[in-house]
Amino acid sequence: MPYEERVSAAYFEARVEERRSLSGGYFVLQLVADEATPIGATVPGQFVMLRGEWGRDLLNPRAFSVFEVDGDRRFSILAKVFGRGTARLATAAPGELIMVTGPLGRGFQAPRAGRTQLLVAGGVGLPPLHLQARRAAERGTPTAVEMLYGGRGRDDLLLVGDLSEWGVPHALATDDGSVGHHGRVTELLEARLVQAREVGEEVEILACGPTPMLAAVRRIGLAEGIDTSLCLEENMACGFGVCLGCAVPVHGPRPYRYCCTDGPVFDAKEVRW
Amino acid sequence: MKDPAAPAGALAPTDVDLRGEFAGFRLETPLLAASGCFAYGQQFAAFTDLRRLGGLVTKGISPAPRFGNPVPRICETASGMLNSIGLENVGVDDFLGEKLPFLRELGVSVWVNFFGTDFETYVECARRLSAGQGIAALEMNISCPNIKKGGIEFGTVPEVAHRLTRACVEVSSVPIIVKLSPNAGDIVGMAQAVSEAGAAGVSLINTITGMAIDVRKRRPRIATTYGGLSGPAIKPIALRMVHQVAKALPELPICGIGGVMTGEDALEFLMAGARAVQVGTALFAEPNAIMRITEELRALLAEIGSADLHGVIGCLEAIPPEPPV
Repeated sequence: MPYEERVSAAYFEARVEERRSLSGGYFVLQLVADEATPIGATVPGQFVMLRGEWGRDLLNPRAFSVFEVDGDRRFSILAKVFGRGTARLATAAPGELIMVTGPLGRGFQAPRAGRTQLLVAGGVGLPPLHLQARRAAERGTPTAVEMLYGGRGRDDLLLVGDLSEWGVPHALATDDGSVGHHGRVTELLEARLVQAREVGEEVEILACGPTPMLAAVRRIGLAEGIDTSLCLEENMACGFGVCLGCAVPVHGPRPYRYCCTDGPVFDAKEVRW
Repeated sequence: MKDPAAPAGALAPTDVDLRGEFAGFRLETPLLAASGCFAYGQQFAAFTDLRRLGGLVTKGISPAPRFGNPVPRICETASGMLNSIGLENVGVDDFLGEKLPFLRELGVSVWVNFFGTDFETYVECARRLSAGQGIAALEMNISCPNIKKGGIEFGTVPEVAHRLTRACVEVSSVPIIVKLSPNAGDIVGMAQAVSEAGAAGVSLINTITGMAIDVRKRRPRIATTYGGLSGPAIKPIALRMVHQVAKALPELPICGIGGVMTGEDALEFLMAGARAVQVGTALFAEPNAIMRITEELRALLAEIGSADLHGVIGCLEAIPPEPPV
């Protein structure tokens, strides 16, 4: 389906309703619009472009995966201070005006009957997969997904209690061994794939996280012949297919596709890494 | 209609007439979307009323499609951004067949930006594009490297720009507006060269070549090392160049471009001598920026008592000399 017909986004005003600090320097910024917006139709993996009243500095809006959605006015993002834009948002006070464009892009497929989705999240890549898990639980099928979640240490693994509460199976990995498997999340994935193969369980992989992790997940998925979807990140100025900044190298007749309009979720087979 | 609360003689924004003309064609407002910041328009339909634009300039079109540069292609800098997209576009045939019909239906002034990779492909592009229905003007981008000339920009050598403009004007059935590069040493000389070659007007400025470095990775922040700087950071330079060209060539229509974010920015360009203004980088953060800027310009003209554009275009006065001590 052409992008223009597939995506129903709006440019709208929202106000900061709440900012919650989490461990590891992460924060959740909850925004609410005055009027109904298309945000309620967000598919996990879709994103918003956010910019406050920042005058002539911090010129371009910042892209964030949608973390939670509540009705057609309220949503949140989960972020960590990385650069000047996230630093500015991390200090946004309740009532502050934020301009929003979204929801944008192509998100993850919902789980299909008889096929478990392995959600591989690394660090700041949690938001779209957390939303995917939440949706599965809301549909009454929490075991249609399974979260494999890795980070540097205990403080980088956020809101694990939600998964327990929803009944979503999950396994953790940390680089420092402070919780869960002492090692990489991709090692959990490899072990899980062995287990699935032994019992003939049908699985697919959905992943979001740092690029080295995604590259490793892609290699594993391709080697095992398992459908693998990667949620990518690339510098973007507009978020809706105009600036052409967020090119993603792909196989096929064209060397590039766009993170904002063709993605951010891509088939691992397509990505030219 | 006058605002009843306004003092006698004062103008209300609704009294202000923003219509004007540029190189012989009419503009409903002087504000256009700039090339490369608007794609081919469709993406904006969800966010803004395209029919209320003064006009729009398409992404630069080349005879054959181009796929663009490696990533990273963009990075933000102080009050601006660098880009090196690589002139990616759908090519003339797809543009005329797939993109132009949508733009034509909007009823606003459509300028088609174009370029070639050598003399012959520039001329071919101008000839084929000008046959398209509903195009007000072609905007010729002479800021891209001339591959045959070893990477020298057409836009930095007046004699080359003159010959190229003349050849394109000869084959085009619509006016040709030349978009000048600020990287030229002598902007007035360039404007004069293309004007004498038959250009109906000039757009200035294109982006300024710049760079940014990620010191932790010891790498340039964009893949091609150098990119084009746009945004408010370049506005004072753009304004100076518009003013210099307008003073030297008062008859030549100028479309001002460079970091316009507000109605006041647009009015500065008009006062410096531009007859129209393009909005570029601002559209990324705010897809309906031109609607806001249009209303701000209307309000500002009312505030300074100007009922139309005639009173403000090129109206800049010199600062009076100080009295002798």
